[in-house]
Amino acid sequence: MEIPYIFTPRKDTGMVNSKIAIWLFLASEVMLFGGFFSSYVYLRLGADYPWPERALPVLPGLINTFVLIASSVTVVFAWAGLKLRKWRMFQVNMSITIFCAAIFMVLKGIEYNVKFHHQAVRLDDYTILEGHLNYDKNTLDANGKEVGEDVIRVQAEKLTFSTMRYHAAWVEEILRQATEKGSKITLAEDVLIEGQSVTKGTELSVALLKRVCKNHLDSRGNNASVRTDALRDEWTTAKAKAENAGKRGWEIAPTIEINAEKIAPLLKKETSSLAFVVNPPLQLWFPHRDIKEGDAQSRLRDDTVIDGKLLDSPVNIHNLDAIDFRHLVMKAEEKGLDPIVAIENSWLIKNSEEAKAAWNWNKEQTAKLEKELLDNYGVDEKGVAKRVPTETERYRIGWKDFISKANGVDKGDAEIVISEEFFGPNYKLREAKHTFPHLKIPRKEVFLSGKFTPAWNTYYAIYFTMTFLHGLHVIGGAVVLGYYLFRGKKMYQSNPEWLANRVEVGGLFWHFVDLVWIFLFPILYLM
Amino acid sequence: MSAHAATADHSHHDDHGHHHEPGFLQKYVFSTDHKTIGIQYGITAMLFLLFGFYLMMVMRWSIAYPHEPLPGWMSWVFTDTWQARWLQDGKVTGDAYNMFGAMHGTIMVFLGVVPLGFGAFGNYVTPLQIGAVDMAFPKLNMVSYWVYLLGGLTMCASFFMESGAAKSGWTNYSPLAGFADGQIVNQWLAGQTQWLLGLVLLITSSLLGSVNFITTIINLRARGMTWMRLPFFVWAMLVTGFLLLLAFPPLEAAGIMQLVDRVFHSSFFMPSGLFTKSEGLAELSGGGSPLLFQHLFWFLGHPEVYVLLLPSIACVAEIIPVNTRRPMWGYKSMVYGVIVLGFLSFIVWAHHMYLTGMGPKISTWFQITTVLISVPSVILLTALMISLWGGSIRFTPAMIWACAFIPMFGIGGLTGLPLAFNLVDLHLHDTYYVIGHFHYVVAPGILFGLFGGVHHWYPKITGRYMSKTLNHLHFWPTLICMNFLFFPMLIQGMAGFHRRWYNGGDAYLAKAADSTNVFAKTVAEFIDLNIMMSWAAWLMALFQLPFIINLFFSMFRGKKVESDNPWNATTLEWATPTPPGHGNFTFDVASYRGPYEYSQPGADKDYTPQWEKPKVEAPTEAPATAPTADH
Repeated sequence: MEIPYIFTPRKDTGMVNSKIAIWLFLASEVMLFGGFFSSYVYLRLGADYPWPERALPVLPGLINTFVLIASSVTVVFAWAGLKLRKWRMFQVNMSITIFCAAIFMVLKGIEYNVKFHHQAVRLDDYTILEGHLNYDKNTLDANGKEVGEDVIRVQAEKLTFSTMRYHAAWVEEILRQATEKGSKITLAEDVLIEGQSVTKGTELSVALLKRVCKNHLDSRGNNASVRTDALRDEWTTAKAKAENAGKRGWEIAPTIEINAEKIAPLLKKETSSLAFVVNPPLQLWFPHRDIKEGDAQSRLRDDTVIDGKLLDSPVNIHNLDAIDFRHLVMKAEEKGLDPIVAIENSWLIKNSEEAKAAWNWNKEQTAKLEKELLDNYGVDEKGVAKRVPTETERYRIGWKDFISKANGVDKGDAEIVISEEFFGPNYKLREAKHTFPHLKIPRKEVFLSGKFTPAWNTYYAIYFTMTFLHGLHVIGGAVVLGYYLFRGKKMYQSNPEWLANRVEVGGLFWHFVDLVWIFLFPILYLM
Repeated sequence: MSAHAATADHSHHDDHGHHHEPGFLQKYVFSTDHKTIGIQYGITAMLFLLFGFYLMMVMRWSIAYPHEPLPGWMSWVFTDTWQARWLQDGKVTGDAYNMFGAMHGTIMVFLGVVPLGFGAFGNYVTPLQIGAVDMAFPKLNMVSYWVYLLGGLTMCASFFMESGAAKSGWTNYSPLAGFADGQIVNQWLAGQTQWLLGLVLLITSSLLGSVNFITTIINLRARGMTWMRLPFFVWAMLVTGFLLLLAFPPLEAAGIMQLVDRVFHSSFFMPSGLFTKSEGLAELSGGGSPLLFQHLFWFLGHPEVYVLLLPSIACVAEIIPVNTRRPMWGYKSMVYGVIVLGFLSFIVWAHHMYLTGMGPKISTWFQITTVLISVPSVILLTALMISLWGGSIRFTPAMIWACAFIPMFGIGGLTGLPLAFNLVDLHLHDTYYVIGHFHYVVAPGILFGLFGGVHHWYPKITGRYMSKTLNHLHFWPTLICMNFLFFPMLIQGMAGFHRRWYNGGDAYLAKAADSTNVFAKTVAEFIDLNIMMSWAAWLMALFQLPFIINLFFSMFRGKKVESDNPWNATTLEWATPTPPGHGNFTFDVASYRGPYEYSQPGADKDYTPQWEKPKVEAPTEAPATAPTADH
């Protein structure tokens, strides 16, 4: 049995099977990316915060655009090479295509990496601060990830684990911190497990929790079936009773109760939680998403209750490289407040001299710019200035502003300028002149803090989702094209047209991937 | 039960040029043969349907008898631990009800009906009807099945997780679904996340399937099988393929975004200032839109309705001409109707969202398109109904189901009309009326058509008929139970019963004594219907047993077919050996005429198969016997 029209096109449709299939697949892909692009429009139009326009460094994106366009050209040359039966031409051009894909992914990786290390904080008054946490004092969480100083600290005196829900990795992390600091975590009371008593003072271990959990589950299962049977019996007899005949369920229900005394001997003891004493009290820290903190009692996401004082847990920003008041201004204007007054009453300006200096410097710059625009462009018939500084120029102090504030406009070393375009400011180089302020933000002022990840706002969410998905397509395409390059020789020798068809199909996909980027670049980087 | 490849293997030329008999695994498990894959889809889908049915039975207990523990005949499935976690003293909890409700919908739609209609019937019948040796991409076809199975198991496995399975409704609306199971530390192991992962796998599977179907139909048609000679079944599959191809990806986008929301705490679908009782002010950036999810979901959700329907109506459209012994009435209008239906189904989605406050202009637009789409649907149903007129109907088992399909689906369709109108929908939205409406479409409508399909093609697949007696034992009680189950829903819905009450409205009864509480009185008036409906559901489950027995026993005990074409049908699948071997046809197959040439004047029998060469020795008769069905 052979499937027809693999190599030669069918006469009436004029296509081989794979060509139809790839066009259908691309139609589906258009709908997929169409869904994302529509979501982008929807989110942007509906955003209730200032959409970060031109927030990304344009240079890497621009280079990537040209790299992908170039690769789209070479993939056509590779296909032409096959059609001309020039294996060498195919090889060279296909190699360039795949090399371009690699360059694209590397640049993308650099862009991602910079964002994953850049910290952002939104204060309760909508001031947004960007910068870096202090790397020297970094701590690792249970999964070995850096958490910087953006953690919640508590003085744990007593830990109560939920037997069903405790997260083993966290328990181990707590134990590790305890051993490090010489604290002992011991059982607060005797418990009965599988008929044996585990005495007060037994040390915490995951194995112990596991045993308790198993015992608890068994008892719960047993108790549930005992209670179910008892309730069923009650209903059977209730329904049989003459006075309840014809009555509906909800009318009988209030009279029905499980006879607690009767089933008591059948029930087993459930241990839904297990309390431990920490001696001496131990300072523990957790990533802020994992803990609901309270002054005297905090609760982890796995239902572990920590009794003890909440410690000072500020967010320490070293190298504050941007202050953004646009969100604050937006909220102030919604309430009909003067934006300048709102900014100058903000927590940041009141509490940080350096930030205040930067703001005053920025005000001067804006005034200068305003005058410059007025001089250059003049006013219209109504006497309104034709051009005025943008919201960004007025209310955002970015890292380039900080640099020019510190040492004038830096037109120095081209190498530094280019590398800063990619990676952001070179802090070591700039540190000597105190370019970027240091700042300690009390936890109660912080509304949201984190790296520039999807969690930061919907712009970064859609940026990461779309470019990651696009990146997957680049990788997928490169793998397929690479397969033709390295494994295609056999196919080429048996039937060159076969490989040509396949490369054509792969090339169509590659063009699509290119096209998606051509849409992504302007909407994410330029608009 | 599968195809016995031996019967037609003389055309078996392997790609690698050497013959070998495939091993058991290759033949029945990792098969690339479209017929085996179709059967795999069919059996898997029916198992999922059974499971979905079970979930519904448990839910119906909670609705009818909310105070009583689940009876032993349903609760034996649960382990003690599971019972302890999700039931309270044996009574169904709200959480468990929500979980079962969400999974019932998901399983029935994504894992049951679509794979049964499109995956099973589409795979088995389509290549046969167009005279192809197999699908265009047999390996892709196999991958499609396994990805579907993996997706289904991923979703169902979440029942056994700490979090339980998804519980935010089958529509999975954010922000509810964005928050659900938020307490689970490893979000990848939360039921709600698993639902999304399963969904992404299912979409991948349907993408592979639909690309394969459309390519096959476009490029692998036999000689002479022109577009207007395609059986209606194939047309329906083509349109279904396009719906799956183009409607599913936006949901995939939504699924991916919700996944990012859940796992990476983004706010695609989370508005600013979200406050919950348990969590307080959410630690999220906000700024997203819950409405966006609904738009993306229903952009799939509505075409999905037609993905469910078309394979079923396609089965009915095959069964009716064969058993009325007359050509299908209005073949062309049906073909154009189904194409228009496909187009329109992409622009009606927001009629599911009238209550979200999209604004009257948008609502009006979608109201218009929604009313418009009833036109092609009515054309399809009317053509099928008129096809019965003047036919000499044979009430074969398949035909009984097809005959029941028409009125049942009709009720489903007509009860949908009020919902199309904004004003009425504001009252009926999220009530049992909606449940009644779409269950009439799906259960006695679509499933009946598919049952008919099973009976119709069973002799081709196994070489034996299914039992008529067992079929009657299955059909009549099912028909009666269906109506006792779903008709009261329409009544309750108009009385205002909400679809997500896990105790069936019981909470209102205590207040019925208060004469000022009108709604409680209304609830009290109609609540007893719950008990009748639940019993209808449980009885219906019982009467599926004859079908299951019939399906398996007839394989060994059924009456053997007398010929390869036991129904004296005209379409190409009946030209194959029984069961068809690998490569399907034993002769150079071609189509010489339209698909439904029954009782043609001048023909020597009451059917003229597509594959029969026109008689050249009688030139005078030629014009009469060769109607130009292809223009």
